Amino acid sequence: MGETQTFLIYRNSGNGDIHYDKFEVPLSKRMSILDALFYIQDYLDSSLAFRYACRGAICGSCGMTIDKVPLLACRTQISTIKTERKPVNLPEFKFGASFVWDSENEILIEPLPNMAVLKDLVVDMKPFWKFYREVEPYLTREWNDVAPESSQSPNQMKKIERLVYCILCGLCWACPVSKENPKYLGSAQLAKADRFIRDSRISDERQKSVFTRVLKDDAVPACEKFFVCNRVCPKGVMPGTAIKDIRDNRSGD
Amino acid sequence: MRVEEFDVLIVGAGLSGLRAGLELSKEWNAAVISKVYPVRSHSGAAQGGINAALGNLDEGKGDTPKGHAFDTVKGSDYLADQDVVMFMCEEAPKIVVEFESMGAPFSRLDSGLIAQRPFGGAGFPRTCYAGDRTGHTLLHTLNEQSVRHGVTFFDEFFIIDLFQANGRIAGLIALDIVKGEVVSFRAPYIILATGGFGRIFKYSTNAVINTGDGVGAAFRAGIPMQDVEFVQFHPTTLYGSNILITEGARGEGGYLFNTEGERFMKATAPKTMELAPRDIVARANETEVNEGRGFENAYVHLDLTHLGAERIKERLPGIREISIYFAGIDPIEKPIPVQPGQHYSMGGIGTKFEGDYGETDLPGLYTIGECSCLSVHGANRLGGNSLLETSVFGRYIGRRLIEKGLPEKASSSEVQNSEDKKLGEIEELLKRWNNNSGKKPVEIRIEMGETMNRNVGVYRTQDDLEKAVKTIPRLQKQFLNTHVLTEDRKFNYGLIRTLELRNMLDIAEATACASLWRKESRGAHFRTDYPSRNDDDYLVHSMIYRGKDGLEIKTKPVKLGVFEVKERKY
Repeated sequence: MGETQTFLIYRNSGNGDIHYDKFEVPLSKRMSILDALFYIQDYLDSSLAFRYACRGAICGSCGMTIDKVPLLACRTQISTIKTERKPVNLPEFKFGASFVWDSENEILIEPLPNMAVLKDLVVDMKPFWKFYREVEPYLTREWNDVAPESSQSPNQMKKIERLVYCILCGLCWACPVSKENPKYLGSAQLAKADRFIRDSRISDERQKSVFTRVLKDDAVPACEKFFVCNRVCPKGVMPGTAIKDIRDNRSGD
Repeated sequence: MRVEEFDVLIVGAGLSGLRAGLELSKEWNAAVISKVYPVRSHSGAAQGGINAALGNLDEGKGDTPKGHAFDTVKGSDYLADQDVVMFMCEEAPKIVVEFESMGAPFSRLDSGLIAQRPFGGAGFPRTCYAGDRTGHTLLHTLNEQSVRHGVTFFDEFFIIDLFQANGRIAGLIALDIVKGEVVSFRAPYIILATGGFGRIFKYSTNAVINTGDGVGAAFRAGIPMQDVEFVQFHPTTLYGSNILITEGARGEGGYLFNTEGERFMKATAPKTMELAPRDIVARANETEVNEGRGFENAYVHLDLTHLGAERIKERLPGIREISIYFAGIDPIEKPIPVQPGQHYSMGGIGTKFEGDYGETDLPGLYTIGECSCLSVHGANRLGGNSLLETSVFGRYIGRRLIEKGLPEKASSSEVQNSEDKKLGEIEELLKRWNNNSGKKPVEIRIEMGETMNRNVGVYRTQDDLEKAVKTIPRLQKQFLNTHVLTEDRKFNYGLIRTLELRNMLDIAEATACASLWRKESRGAHFRTDYPSRNDDDYLVHSMIYRGKDGLEIKTKPVKLGVFEVKERKY
């Protein structure tokens, strides 16, 4: 066998048994963390649970904590994980079991922080989707299929472009506020609200309704400006900046 | 066992399934079942755009739905059914305007109208886009509207099999991935919208989840696979991971180069160059490598460097991100290494000759989107037509079923008997897998993928195809004795992937068989031993059934009549 890589992986049966397992994975060229997890599931332990879909960083399924940093497993390369620059000033993420980790040589895989674990690396996304629905992330215009389409200038579109890139992966829930306050709507959700607030096609009434929701105590005012979300977002959405923009917009009213 | 009852079930929550769900939820008790959360569906990975003859650019003013239909039929190498193509292209401007009214964030022209870009095989710039993340934005838009309208979802439910009663569809058995329970969903109408199945190949742009679960379930229920020999190999997939590099990169002006620094498309398609249809460009790429003009004997270069940093950042930001993260290359500075890879399945669940679009031979069972074969793409799909197909037929099927109304309720004892029988078979299967001592599913999956790539790839020959036609049934046999733990079913992805393999083996077997049968070259199906098209014998759809002694092939006529069948030249 050629070169191998050791993985230290958080395991949780969902019945109270939490521990870390070690796996040796033979390396292949350009192997991603997700590739390695598939290797483990295919050859070493078919019960290892993790979510996946596109393997191309667009579906948002495979968010997890890798070497203590929330990342997309598919986009993270094994060859550079130990050397690449990490986001700074991240909170320490703990998952409720003790372990010994040789951080220079072993890759540590844990679930996303601040979400309940259902099994191994699979977290409960229900609160994430509930809060997503709560910001009412949509336009309420009547559907119309008669050309011409409603007009929007390239500049107006630019204002929402960055926000539209959000893939709802949940990495930004690494926010310390999400940890302390389970009622906090969350960074992705507020960025989504901003995406609609800033859309030139939204009606005044609708805009007001989204504003009203996100200006409640458990939303924009709860943000403590850590900007962890901006630093971990894999798509450059900058949710923290979106939250700031919502706040500034209000004071401009 | 948990039993759920609905008027209609939609399996799959990509663009097809979501659009159908939105339409049907207006009137009926409808549910959308998907093995992943809707926004994880592979529609979200579509990059380039969605075609519609809107004529928003000055150069596009002369464009018409009929012109779009002609390009589609010609691109299909005349195998597409012309009535359904006309319908799709006439619906196209409406469906794009509808997306916009829902809130889809399209890229815009200075006029404020939706921007359009040129795409391969198209007479006008008619591909509407949102940067290079069109699928992502459309998928999120439909998901948002589904939230708004309160569509019912069963997320993380895996379809195992269909069951019938009183001569029509009666329901499906699914695995609740979260709870690990088998659940029965009863409904008089089922729409399969489970997407592509490119994972039967080793090298594919498709998501890991694109395993043809609806196709497999329908096939086991006696519904044929249609035209599955037509597999689109995308000319530009990233070397290594085979992640898609959009045709939009060439639409924006990207060049293809070999090791000798030649734009080799000049020899194959002097007029359209890099924007010839995908099958033609894919073969040209493969030829360069086969004839020793590829880099590392494996890939060619897609060069965007001359477009400049600003244009790349504005029009192709996703491509830049993919190249940087997955290949360590910034396309502003260096060419992208690309190779052909399986990308799209023109074939799929067979449909009725005279029926509603998407109707199968089993009353009550319908199919739309990539898993289906309607056939709008014939032997080769044009870029920008797949996003279009999903939403046009999602909306259509919803409206059509509501027009038809609900059938009389089937006798519940017959439904229950059929359900119990199917459930028994499934439990038997899972028990066997658990107690078996044969190969691991992964070993079979890898051999299947390698076989398909080696023997049923871009260039096909009798010898190679005969090998595949022997290998896949051998793998089917091994699969009967495969071993995977099935007792603890909660988030048991090992089990899910084995159920997926069960579907993929059937599709791979049918694909190899149909490819061997079709002794001609048409669109994406290229036989080096039969290099030309043979309309006398093969201007027909292939229909593959599971007979008692293996696969059986029948044919179905192609619907012609709008455009004359001609030689296809670019």
